[in-house]
Amino acid sequence: MRPFSTRSDLCRSARPVPSPLLRLCAFVVFAALTWFAGANTDFDRMQRLASERFGNQAGDMVGAWRRLIDESRDIPEADQLTRVNHFFNRSIQFDDDIVVWQQQDYWASPLETLGRQAGDCEDFAIAKYVTLRLLGIPKERLRLIYVRARIGGADSPVSQAHMVLGYFATPTDEPLVLDNLIGDIRPAARRPDLFPVFSFNSEGLWVGGAAESSADPTARLSRWRDVLARMRSEGLELTQ
Amino acid sequence: MSLTKQLWIAIAMVTLLSLGGSLVVSTLSARQYLQQELAIKNMDNATSLALSLSQLDKDPVTIELQIASQFDAGHYQLIRLVDPTGTLLVERKYAEHNQGSPTWFMRLVPIETRPGLAQVLDGWRQFGTLTVESHSRYAYESLWNATRQLLLWFAGGGLLCGLLGTLVLRYITRPLGSMVEQAEAIGGRRFVTTPEPRTLEFRSVVRAMNTLSERVRTMLADEAQRLEQLRRQTQYDELTGLFSRQQFLNQLDAALSRNDASAGGLLLITRIANLAELNQRLGRTAADRLLATLASRLSAVAEAHPGRECGRLNASDFALLAAGELDATALGEAVNAAFQTALTADLPHIQLLIAVAGYAEGEARGSLLARIDGGLAAAEHDEQHTLQIVANHTDQPLYSHPDEWRKALTHALQGRAIKLAGFPVLGRQGEVLHREAPVRLQLDGHWCSAGRVLPWAARLGLVARIDALVVEAACARLDRHPEITGLAINLSTDALRDAAFRDQLRRTVQAHPTAASRLWIDIQESSALRHQMEFRDLCLTLRPLGCKLGLKHAGRSFSRFAELHDVGLDYIKISPAFIRGIDQSPSNKAFLRGLCTIAHSIGLLAIAEGVGTPAEVAALPALGIDGMTGPGITAEPAALSEHP
Repeated sequence: MRPFSTRSDLCRSARPVPSPLLRLCAFVVFAALTWFAGANTDFDRMQRLASERFGNQAGDMVGAWRRLIDESRDIPEADQLTRVNHFFNRSIQFDDDIVVWQQQDYWASPLETLGRQAGDCEDFAIAKYVTLRLLGIPKERLRLIYVRARIGGADSPVSQAHMVLGYFATPTDEPLVLDNLIGDIRPAARRPDLFPVFSFNSEGLWVGGAAESSADPTARLSRWRDVLARMRSEGLELTQ
Repeated sequence: MSLTKQLWIAIAMVTLLSLGGSLVVSTLSARQYLQQELAIKNMDNATSLALSLSQLDKDPVTIELQIASQFDAGHYQLIRLVDPTGTLLVERKYAEHNQGSPTWFMRLVPIETRPGLAQVLDGWRQFGTLTVESHSRYAYESLWNATRQLLLWFAGGGLLCGLLGTLVLRYITRPLGSMVEQAEAIGGRRFVTTPEPRTLEFRSVVRAMNTLSERVRTMLADEAQRLEQLRRQTQYDELTGLFSRQQFLNQLDAALSRNDASAGGLLLITRIANLAELNQRLGRTAADRLLATLASRLSAVAEAHPGRECGRLNASDFALLAAGELDATALGEAVNAAFQTALTADLPHIQLLIAVAGYAEGEARGSLLARIDGGLAAAEHDEQHTLQIVANHTDQPLYSHPDEWRKALTHALQGRAIKLAGFPVLGRQGEVLHREAPVRLQLDGHWCSAGRVLPWAARLGLVARIDALVVEAACARLDRHPEITGLAINLSTDALRDAAFRDQLRRTVQAHPTAASRLWIDIQESSALRHQMEFRDLCLTLRPLGCKLGLKHAGRSFSRFAELHDVGLDYIKISPAFIRGIDQSPSNKAFLRGLCTIAHSIGLLAIAEGVGTPAEVAALPALGIDGMTGPGITAEPAALSEHP
């Protein structure tokens, strides 16, 4: 985990002025992709992609994930949380981005995380968030939360930047924390080692239909929007 | 619509489309860019504000302050904080509606803003959702300004395009003007050629027109040559090269019927009295050679003066016709002298008789020939004087002295004592094409015909003034009687050569525009060919005014038609010499047919003069004659002899 840096690279990168022709080409290509991808999540395609890109084991992994989702559709939300948390904490090995992706900071899509079977805290959080969304949990109840974590307990002098997934049963409740540091899900009050800083989800990032967002050249500008766009191109559809 | 206009419209449309399209595309893409920028700004600002709000103590004042300071210091339309249950916590809204660009523009090109959304945390709890919306006013402003600037630039560019387009069009269509002129000239039977332009399409058209003109010219020349050959065979005596008897008599008849400045003249007949004896003594060939030599001497005398014709009447008789001349003695002595040079010492004595007689307009051929016969008889018996001058016709001239003629003529001119006669020229269906209007002058109370007056007027140099009066009278009559289809007036050679007269003629015709198209102007073929520059000038001046121009007494020099074809004649009147006895002469028929073909090929009407008998009237249309006039042609009694 990298120490907290004042990196302003959360969302900013060079903004190219989109030329009309480029827009047109991008629109055509993405529209085609969207059309081919279909309105629903295409698990077959994702499995195939995983096998092609990361090897057969990755394909099996995606298959297991798929089975998880299929089996967990009709159970209560609390059970869904447990299952998903458990699946990812067990299957994915924690590792830095520089090791897994040879990049300083990289937010991987669930497919990529499952493909490498390794990731860092953001990858865990994103993967769990997406999976729970696919299981039908409305986005108002889920938040990705930036926290300051004390490694080794609430009194440890070592702090680290960390990301967890928060589940809010009702809007006014304190959340349940899904984390890769510990194996089980606890309410936030019982996590004195975490200090929340900022939360976000995919709310407000799409207005007026999926196609418009995918055609927007600024869609990949922020890291969060970039990973969302990548997920879509892999065949993952998050309904509103 | 003209080609230039069509091209212009095409250029304008293309320019409009391209510039208009560019304008629309630029505006739309600018709008798109601005929208994206706004959306990104909204998202970023929402995120950073929510981040800072999340770190604060959540007491209402601090929250409100934070939001208010962000709102006031920035360019925001709306900042709103809503708690998780939906209750509004804080809201700041921009109330003013001054949008920075016209309302119609905003309605036309709306900028859709996407508000930025972000979550505010209070510890672990959700504190609320923050909505941030940047003000789109500056976006509209910049869009409006950009559009306006573009519009201005494009308008300027469009004008420049228009200017350039005009210049380019003018350059491209420059050859068109001369092309059209040439086409119109060809349409008006003037087969001109022009230099080929450089543009490919125009070049091929001009080349085709030039080829057409060349072909017509060549065809005319060939046809004329062919006809000339035919004429040589049929109209000329083989041995001597002079007119054959019949042809010469036709010429004589034609000369006797003339009523212009060359009316009246001299006829000389020379006879070799002892031809039979010569044949015996010299043998046939030598005698023929002698005859040929004498004939060539005679034609040399004839060529010395324009308007003279000579012919062979029979084996021993040669004749010389000198129209318009008065001096019989000089003519006789000239011929005599010419013959003497041929009579060399080694030849036996040849009894040459010469008799010269003057004739007046309207005299009968028979009486003229009888008088000359008498003269020849007298010469035969009188050993001393082989040259006999025969007395003139008993018809006395009006005045014996030129000064008296001058006085009478000037008096008549000043008093404008002229009137026009009217002899019909009938077309193929018997309709009146026009009326020939020879002039009549009143001298000392007597109305005298053109044939009696004009030769003297020509000698005294007054004929141009008479012609001027004739033109005015004709125009006046045409104006007064719109039902007259046309009047034909004769222009003399002197009038043709006078530049001042041509100028005045043009002005007179211009003053009577309705009469101009019914005015037919006859000019003698020999005058037109001898004074081509003046004739050409006259044609080019009068044709645009609508007058019809034609040659009178035509046919003699038809081989030179090619020289006149690009001037633009309307008709020719074929001399009676070629019309007389047409029903009995197959060779003349062939000649006339050929002549009509040539005339028609360059769009001329062929009118026959001196048509006398019903047989001629019947025979002529089949040969291609379009109109007939002469003693045998009468129409309804014409309203002739009116005072102008």
